[in-house]
Amino acid sequence: MSTTPLIHVVDDDESLRTALLRLLGAAGFEARGYASAGDFLLQPPPDRPGCLLLDVRMPGPSGLDLQAALRRQGVALPVVFLTGYADVAASVRAMKAGAVDFLTKPIERAALFDALQRALARDAVQRAARDEAERLRACFALLTPRERAIFDGIVAGKLNKQIAEELEIAERTVKLHRAQLMAKLGITSTAELGRLAERLRHLSD
Amino acid sequence: MSPDSLNAASCLVRLLAACCLVLAAAATAGEIRHVLVLYSSHRLLPANLEGESGLRETIANSTELSTEFLDYPHFEGESYVHTVTTFLREKYALQPPEVLVVGGEEALAFLLGHHAELFPQAPVVHMGVARSFLRSIPPLPADVVGVPIEYDFSGTIEQALRWHPRARHLVVVTGTATWDREFEARLRDEVSHFKDRATAEFLAGLPTGAVLKRLGELGGDAVVFTPGYFQDGEGRHFVPREAARIMAAAATAPVYGPFNTFLGTGIVGGRLPNFVAMGRQTGEIVNALLDGAAPAALRLPEIMPNTLNVDWRQVRRWGIDESAIPGDAIVHFREETLLEAHRNEVMIAATVFLLQAGLIAGLLIEHRRRRLAEQAVQKQRTELAHAARLAVAGELTGSIAHEINQPLGAILSNADAGELLLESGADRRDALREILADIRRDDLRAGEVIRRLRALLAKHEVERQPFDLNEAVSDVAALLRAETRRRGVTLDIRLATTALTVVGDRIQIQQVLINLVLNAMDAVAEVPENRRTIVVSVENVAGGIALAVRDWGHGIAPDDLPRLFDSFFSTKRQGMGLGLSIARTIVEAHGGRIWAEPGPGDGAVFHINLPAASATAGQSSETA
Repeated sequence: MSTTPLIHVVDDDESLRTALLRLLGAAGFEARGYASAGDFLLQPPPDRPGCLLLDVRMPGPSGLDLQAALRRQGVALPVVFLTGYADVAASVRAMKAGAVDFLTKPIERAALFDALQRALARDAVQRAARDEAERLRACFALLTPRERAIFDGIVAGKLNKQIAEELEIAERTVKLHRAQLMAKLGITSTAELGRLAERLRHLSD
Repeated sequence: MSPDSLNAASCLVRLLAACCLVLAAAATAGEIRHVLVLYSSHRLLPANLEGESGLRETIANSTELSTEFLDYPHFEGESYVHTVTTFLREKYALQPPEVLVVGGEEALAFLLGHHAELFPQAPVVHMGVARSFLRSIPPLPADVVGVPIEYDFSGTIEQALRWHPRARHLVVVTGTATWDREFEARLRDEVSHFKDRATAEFLAGLPTGAVLKRLGELGGDAVVFTPGYFQDGEGRHFVPREAARIMAAAATAPVYGPFNTFLGTGIVGGRLPNFVAMGRQTGEIVNALLDGAAPAALRLPEIMPNTLNVDWRQVRRWGIDESAIPGDAIVHFREETLLEAHRNEVMIAATVFLLQAGLIAGLLIEHRRRRLAEQAVQKQRTELAHAARLAVAGELTGSIAHEINQPLGAILSNADAGELLLESGADRRDALREILADIRRDDLRAGEVIRRLRALLAKHEVERQPFDLNEAVSDVAALLRAETRRRGVTLDIRLATTALTVVGDRIQIQQVLINLVLNAMDAVAEVPENRRTIVVSVENVAGGIALAVRDWGHGIAPDDLPRLFDSFFSTKRQGMGLGLSIARTIVEAHGGRIWAEPGPGDGAVFHINLPAASATAGQSSETA
């Protein structure tokens, strides 16, 4: 899996699309162009960092439509809108839906790159968070049901003795499981375990 | 014959019979009285005719007037006189005249010598006898009376010299007959009185040809006086009036004469006896004598007054100062001005003319005002059309900005890319060339959008130029491309296969089309996107070009159809209701027609028929 970010440029205007791809290429970005929202959806993007540079008005589904569709599909690529005519209603809608920026053509390259950098940064953060959560979920999946129960007990702030009583096992067994699950989750302290539990709860929301 | 006409005939007979009875009674009541008039000369001498007319109009109805002419000077001599005397005595023996009238000096002389043989009991009235003649003979008997005349040679000459202040030369023409010689003698005497004023030249007793030749040579310093002549140097006989006529015709100087019978022959005039007045005066004397008055008891004027007579045409011809014509002068042949001759007609004509002129002036003013008003209306129309285009442009702002920003964006990005390539230091000449080519293409593209927009927005004078409707429609489609995309509408343009030339204002026709397409887009806004199609078709039809805009939208309510093209009628919430009324104004200004009808099924169709340019050209060449 490549870690170089890929910028997806969706614009029906071939001339503008070519120019944008040319500019991004010259600036060292890797970019790919699509003539319509449909074109983009038909080609599932490779699982790599990146962002979307979207024209608002296009024949067929608009940029806003594509943004909504991607959200529904759980594709979390950050979106930068680029429009020929900044109409307030469309920009508000786009920003509410989580767009990184709403730019108007013609666009200064500094502003464009800045927006794209922010989008990529957001993507990186999202991606890192997602990877961490994935890792945690994977670790958590390794726990046995007994270890999960003991984990819940620890998170609930109960003492080993209380957990043992509830599970009707020996306090010594609880201690053993506790060491086992901390090893599985790669943590060394109870405080760390608390933070992990917090994150897990967040993920499962 | 019908009974009616029989009646009429019998009435007429009775009437005639009655008239006869009355006349017979009159004849027996007042006896007919006889007067014999004896003229010296022949019957056609104008003086005789005029005198006779004055005489006849004055004497009583019951008087019978007989006239005899001695025909002097053609016939003369003792035996002639004897014959005439015998003839007259015998001729009038059964109807002896109660009064004798003698016209002219010879007739008077004749009668004075023969009165004893010719009706001695009848008193004699003379007329047309010169006072100078009376003075040259013994006093007249008591039963011979009359008012003498005087041929005023001196007065006439004096008047002539007064009217022609530059005249220094007086030419006198006389003839060879006895009378002519008498006149000559008298004139030689009288003319001598003017020797300080003018030199005198006598053309006495010359052949007529020589007289006329000399008269034709006269310069501006000459005036001519002539009593005419009865006989010229070659023995040819003339009536003095005719002699005067040919002299006046030939003369290059004004001609004057002492007889009023000369008036109209071309002479200027003179101080003249009036023969008609003379005849009347004689008639009154005759009446008095017939009524029993004693000749000696009559109180008569000493002499017939002379009056200044002048021929107006000659006044003009010789440039006589009008103010020098005395008020009591008798002006003959004055060419009455139109106003004088036909005063009423002229007044009516002038009034009509003035009214007409006033009417025409009024119409012209009205016409001018109407033209100004039309110009103002035309200007307002142009401005309204322009305002409507601005409104359309406002509506299209979004899509047009998009249209322009698209290439501008591409240009900027390409330029940036080129800059980055150059900064990278690598030799990317091919890429740069590509970039520049793209920049140029996009620039032209943006320029084209602006051109179309500017054409639409420009405030221009209304043109009448031939243009291809196909092209105009394609242009509109390009202008609306972004808008149709924005609204998710498909614009289906169906052009004619041949060029369709229309004469008129391309922009205004495009404006109408844009208006119709935008309306159609509004109409389809609520229908599902797959039905948001608008068809614009252009085709050749009989007698013109048909343009149609068809949609499958909400359609037109039947109640709205008749008012659709009225000003300020709108079914749209934000509509001003001017678009279609302006569209109609524009189409009608192009000699076309616009109307709407419900589309078959759904929606509406707007039709425009425009005259084709070739048809218009054909018509104008026909009328030319």
